[in-house]
Amino acid sequence: MRLALAGKTAPTPIDEVVRRYPDVPRLLVIKTDVQRRGVFYSDAALALLDETQHQTTGTHIFGARDGLIALRPESLLLRDGSSIITTPTPLEENPYVVDAKDGVPWLFDDGIPLEAVDYWPAPDFYARTSSSGVPMKNIVSARPQRLNIFPYRYCTFWNNNKGCSFCDIVSQLKKGGKELNIPAKLDPREVGDVIGEALKEPGRFSSVFLTSGSIVSGQEAFDDEVDYYIQILHEVGRHFKAPKFPSQIIGTAFTKKQLQRLYDETGLMSYTSDIEVLNEELFNKLCPGKAEWIGYREWKKRLVDAVEVFGPGRVNTGLVAGIELAGPHGFSSEDEALERTLDEAEELARQGVSTVFIVWSPRPDTPLGDQKNASLDYYIRLARGLHALRVKYRLPIGFDDYRHCGNHPDSDLSRLLPY
Amino acid sequence: MSLLSSALREYIQDRSAVKVLATLDGNDAPYAVVSPFLQLDEQGHLVHLELLEKSVTNRNLLRSLWFDRKISVSVGSYVIKGSPVKAHISGPVFRRYYEQVRCVLDDADLSCVWLIEPEEVVDETYATRKQQEEEQFPFSVHLDRLTN
Repeated sequence: MRLALAGKTAPTPIDEVVRRYPDVPRLLVIKTDVQRRGVFYSDAALALLDETQHQTTGTHIFGARDGLIALRPESLLLRDGSSIITTPTPLEENPYVVDAKDGVPWLFDDGIPLEAVDYWPAPDFYARTSSSGVPMKNIVSARPQRLNIFPYRYCTFWNNNKGCSFCDIVSQLKKGGKELNIPAKLDPREVGDVIGEALKEPGRFSSVFLTSGSIVSGQEAFDDEVDYYIQILHEVGRHFKAPKFPSQIIGTAFTKKQLQRLYDETGLMSYTSDIEVLNEELFNKLCPGKAEWIGYREWKKRLVDAVEVFGPGRVNTGLVAGIELAGPHGFSSEDEALERTLDEAEELARQGVSTVFIVWSPRPDTPLGDQKNASLDYYIRLARGLHALRVKYRLPIGFDDYRHCGNHPDSDLSRLLPY
Repeated sequence: MSLLSSALREYIQDRSAVKVLATLDGNDAPYAVVSPFLQLDEQGHLVHLELLEKSVTNRNLLRSLWFDRKISVSVGSYVIKGSPVKAHISGPVFRRYYEQVRCVLDDADLSCVWLIEPEEVVDETYATRKQQEEEQFPFSVHLDRLTN
């Protein structure tokens, strides 16, 4: 296995992309490609991992690309303060390698050192245990500036096998529940207690984030999901002096009545509902549960309704970028995919809804697990395109930026905007 | 050996000394602000504590880091040219400076800890510069100063 080649400074494949897009920082190109290809941690890199100082994998709602649950860094920080949220990937899939250089972790591509990276720092509360004896990190987890709550680690779209084709939430729940003592459904009171503990750490967190699998049940479809979020947010809210606090939910596309309840009854300040792919035909094929219970056009309408409730610049939708090119039904070329995706993103932006993307990581326990994601060039063009829409329609993205999420190359570009 | 003399290092660490950070915006226009917390870290970086995420300076520093553009820091009669090399937004380094800021400024926040690598020091002390000019550029001197 070839890892670090001391002194080698030959051009890497990313250099060509960096030259082609001089308005895109090299760090962002690296980040995007690491998300695209994944990472492999050398033994020396793993020896630098210290559970008392760093966050380790295992708390996330989704699984790794190599299908393993093992002690590894949760994710990486670049020197511009942005995160690379990526998953461990088998070496035979040509991932980037994290190896030790001069006693610190570095990213390598084909043996060439690219950048020093930091492992995500562990927050103080990770060392503590909840009142019910569960490690607090299995109730609330962290990103560098964000508290993550995954209240329900099951998605009821899978009840009739209509979960999204790229999603491994249910298989990860089965693995995580057995191996990591992660509760499938969190007790709101306990969540509130852990949040209170987390907030004792000075300067660590600037946002609270919730997401879970969809819950279709209730008097109206998804009422139970909304009720559950409200319960959790009440428990979180008791720690804040103001009625609203910096927060984001990624939920199902709720009705306007449900959205109004979320806004009026809690401290929630922003709302995200992931449409996953911006094309009706592909949505129906790749997200059959979402199509069955809500439908593509209604999903978009509800996003626009949410702007009336939460305000412009406080609502967005996410894409799992790359699935639009996968399988027999995907777009036939990246040019076509880009044009059609940005056209629909602009229709949303015009109505106050921002679009962000994550780089699709094909995961083994998913129907699309054997497919490849798109080219680096495609992801960079998509990031530039979505960023340009935010400039054109003056849409702030502060609730889903590098500090609060870190998973969207497009919103990293928006760091230079004055809004 | 550090680029910064011990006298300059002392001056930088003096909280009462005025330090000015100059950056370039997206149109290459200079933008200078007082950096009240500017200090040195143990590795010899200049540390700028940026309190506001969307300030012009914060965005300019990011632009400098991303696209390799220089910045400068003026301390007394010295100008230190350099490059931002790292932005801390989390972790023990960030926390240390966050607590420092909170001790000094009531209800302040901290957005980013910028580490700046000094690359060149220019001594702009008038007496020093005057001597250099007169030695290197003798034709710039007004003759009335040279008469008997």
